[in-house]
Amino acid sequence: MTEIAQRQDLQPAVPLAALFTAFLAVSLCGAGGGGGIVWARRIAVEKRHWISDREFADIVSLCQFMPGPNIVGIAVCIGAKLRGAIGTFAALCGFLVIPWAIGLSLGLLCLEYAHLPVLGNILRGIAATAAGLLIATGIRLLLPHRRRPAALLFAALAFVLITFARLPLLAVLFGLAPLSIAIAVVEAAKAR
Amino acid sequence: MTDPSAPIALTAHLALVSSISFGGFPTVLPDVRNFVVGTHGWMTDQEFANIFAMAQSIPGPNMILMMSLVGWKVWGFPGAVASAFATFGPPCTMYFAAYRLWDRFRNAPWQRIVRLGLVPVIMGLVIASGTVMARAADTSWRAVAVTSAAAAITLATRLSPLWMLFAGAALGGLGLL
Repeated sequence: MTEIAQRQDLQPAVPLAALFTAFLAVSLCGAGGGGGIVWARRIAVEKRHWISDREFADIVSLCQFMPGPNIVGIAVCIGAKLRGAIGTFAALCGFLVIPWAIGLSLGLLCLEYAHLPVLGNILRGIAATAAGLLIATGIRLLLPHRRRPAALLFAALAFVLITFARLPLLAVLFGLAPLSIAIAVVEAAKAR
Repeated sequence: MTDPSAPIALTAHLALVSSISFGGFPTVLPDVRNFVVGTHGWMTDQEFANIFAMAQSIPGPNMILMMSLVGWKVWGFPGAVASAFATFGPPCTMYFAAYRLWDRFRNAPWQRIVRLGLVPVIMGLVIASGTVMARAADTSWRAVAVTSAAAAITLATRLSPLWMLFAGAALGGLGLL
């Protein structure tokens, strides 16, 4: 809280309406997987100068090892940083309410006609593409870790156990994550 | 769908998986698919794949939207709202609490180590999610080619995903997949 107070001494508080509209824009622009982070950085860091790149990277890292839709977490954290709990609420409302209402209506409309052959074919094409985007996003985010053999091993294990062994997510997550973190601890101890 | 406990079971399950969805909601997609299609039979594999495609091609909070559409299938509008809250509610509470703690431990070495261990596992899960969705969507070798092309283009270029989704939609609409 003291940090938020200090910030407000330096510059006027960010209006809640600005938080709402900024995250409304992030939400509407960031279509498809991964686009949200790009737009959140562009608007919060480059255009509005609300936070620095370093702070943004911190927030993304924090959200990365928390559960949930990461990009929503970015809205929560930036809102909390700028205006505390009420800021989080404003950013979340901007991010969710209007896009959710638009998306749900569009989605239901399309699903209503999903039995039409043409629409079914279009959806099949989109589904095939979207699956590829998801795979590529996972690979891209794994790339920074490619020089650590243990990282590649655990990524491959997680992939195989879900895709081919069809184990439940919880078992894979809580089976592999502690092991993987333990090995990272050992590596860090050796490096010291 | 006639079982009155269905919406409660779905909401509770979504709240549970969203609390453990490290790396974003795509990591729990296979689990949700098993629950909705396999265990309860609320929809077919094709319907689930359609909803996934819809949610991916619409701007906005895709995964919350996708779960809302699943909720709608089970329990109409209340189901959609309940599923949305179950999907973002628990994680948002955690984000907020965690952000308060974050500054206190900003320079702690354990943060870097945990990230180093956790991120590869999570990315393996994300890639698996894509593969599981591809298995539902790719019913022909041409669809497999589209999935591979989308992945390759995303990795090799900075082309907006929107263009690829358009291209995929066009190929599908022309009946080529």
